[in-house]
Amino acid sequence: MAKLVVEISHSPFGHENAYSGLFAAMGWVSIGNQATVVLRGDGVHVARKGQMDPLKEINLPPTEKQVTDILGEGGRVVADRHALETRGIEEDELINGVEVLDGDAIRRLILEEGERVLTF
Amino acid sequence: MVEEKKMTLAMMLFSAPFSSQYADHMCRLAEKALERGYNVEIFLYGDAVHSQMNEQRPKTFFPVGDALGGIIDKGAAVYSCEICSIARGYIKGELKDGKKDYSSTKVIDGIRFCSIFGFVEMLGRADRVLSFGGS
Repeated sequence: MAKLVVEISHSPFGHENAYSGLFAAMGWVSIGNQATVVLRGDGVHVARKGQMDPLKEINLPPTEKQVTDILGEGGRVVADRHALETRGIEEDELINGVEVLDGDAIRRLILEEGERVLTF
Repeated sequence: MVEEKKMTLAMMLFSAPFSSQYADHMCRLAEKALERGYNVEIFLYGDAVHSQMNEQRPKTFFPVGDALGGIIDKGAAVYSCEICSIARGYIKGELKDGKKDYSSTKVIDGIRFCSIFGFVEMLGRADRVLSFGGS
């Protein structure tokens, strides 16, 4: 299986970046490839569970569904521990299946799985 | 004699032209890669689709539209995100005689349109992938 790493460092709703990165990851895993989404900085907000559906209010989708779909297709979604801590986000606030890794582990992951890397 | 396979370089641009230099860097690097014998494939994603607009007239900035046209003339395949281009008014993308209508007077010659699945196929073909302007 060909590997792709998608790095997201923008939060959802304010920017298009997170959605675009998640769409690319979803497309990649949907044809049988392996994708790992790495959430860094404000990108960790992508993985918060309990997002309301804001489509009716601001015409933007919740990233919770995209993350769940990617996990359901066998993709990985990892969040940077330090980014979570600095934003006061607890692990139990994350969508089920999202992994929390420290910086060294994320750097190793990118080196080992980053045959193709996209940044958003 | 066995002919050596050409390497394929895929480049994704996510930033609009002029507001940053990501488009400039990508165009210049694409030109060098073509000179070195790479197959070059480019995907314009999100606000990067503004790079495809024709009749760009920057007074001082790098002329991204002209550069993209030049890269296409030299053999690069430049794809643009269909849904991003529809959202920004460049194309309609509606079905016409059973085919997608990509006709546009607003886009430089040679730009091709595809969905995210076209981009995913591009990633699969690539030997090297470079990403510009996402963060």
